[in-house]
Amino acid sequence: MTSPYQQQLGRELTAVGIRGALHRRIVAEIDDHLQCDPDALLGEPRALAQQFADVIGSARAKTAAVAAFASLVVAGVVTLVIAVATGGTLRSAQPAGGPLHGPTTLATAAATVAVIALQVALACGLLVALRWLWRRHTGVLPAAEARVIVRRAIVGVGAGITGVAAIATAAVAERHVPGAPSAGPVIGASAVAVVALLASVPSLRAATRVRPLAEGPAGDVVDDLGPLAPAALKNRPWRVALLVAMAIALLATVAGVLQADPYDGAARGIVDGLACLAGFATLGPWLGLWSRRGRELAG
Amino acid sequence: MRSETLKGHLDALILSVVSIGPLHGYAIIEQLRLRSGGAMTLPEGTVYPALHRLEAAGLLSSYWSQTAGRRRRVYELTRRGERELGTRRAEWREFAHAVEAVLSPAEPSGPTAVPA
Repeated sequence: MTSPYQQQLGRELTAVGIRGALHRRIVAEIDDHLQCDPDALLGEPRALAQQFADVIGSARAKTAAVAAFASLVVAGVVTLVIAVATGGTLRSAQPAGGPLHGPTTLATAAATVAVIALQVALACGLLVALRWLWRRHTGVLPAAEARVIVRRAIVGVGAGITGVAAIATAAVAERHVPGAPSAGPVIGASAVAVVALLASVPSLRAATRVRPLAEGPAGDVVDDLGPLAPAALKNRPWRVALLVAMAIALLATVAGVLQADPYDGAARGIVDGLACLAGFATLGPWLGLWSRRGRELAG
Repeated sequence: MRSETLKGHLDALILSVVSIGPLHGYAIIEQLRLRSGGAMTLPEGTVYPALHRLEAAGLLSSYWSQTAGRRRRVYELTRRGERELGTRRAEWREFAHAVEAVLSPAEPSGPTAVPA
């Protein structure tokens, strides 16, 4: 027999996304407590359920971050192995010029998608891992920050799956091209990477179910750097973006120089740097890289 | 004692109470009250989420036990929890010693030189 308090607590737990075994456990614990002390000061059921949601939401967000990062590392290693073993399946991502026909069009499109998606996956994986690193001992995260962590994890894993699937697609599309790598091993390795990425999905799903409400800011890319962020970057996420874009441009230019094609390297560097800034501008607020509120505070 | 005062120390207090052996939620709250001579009467609603938080952090583990026909969730300290408790105890002693030194009435020891 359950008391009106337990019934209402059960409903409130469901409302904040706590279901299944955990729901039953909390209700049973509170039931046990009320049997020991019917006058216990447990507070309003809604407030108690929200406290649980804040605790569990934070814990699940951190678990999702670890799961996503681990799966992205596995997928990254597999992708690297594919790239080394095939001598660069993604070469067709480079603008070859001229009309594109049949499998070449598909291969080029797939390789382009792979390059973009894998860069997004890498960025999200690094960002989610960094935020976890600095916040792993925090018991209750602000709800906005927990949502950003989960969102980054979802985008990272989603981009990883897209990127790996695109690699396999490019390999299939190029299988008849002379000198192209055999599609079988690439598909096999891609499948391993996709399985690794899919392994993180239950953690991501569990994290999205709970609805925490704890107050506080989501943070920005400067918070991702934690204690590594120099004072000049505090509250200046756009400076971080600019520095990263410049570093990317420089790396691409250096790579071009090493490949005896400095002009192409510089051009790619500028394009990649601008793409980085464009991504920061458009996806930044959604992925917790910067916020308009933060800019107002900084200003 | 005001519950706000206790909030910052709740984790350490729970870890310390659970360090004596596996306990269920009600017993933990009772131990807190008894060991503090009745000074610590926390709203029970704050303790259960804290127990879940400490478990999520790997400082406590829990399991169901059957006592007198009732299923009860019992909490015990993990190895990590033991280490954390040791750290918290050392930090508390240092803090308490420093606060005590400042709050204690200063003993008269003659005129004190005041820097210019």
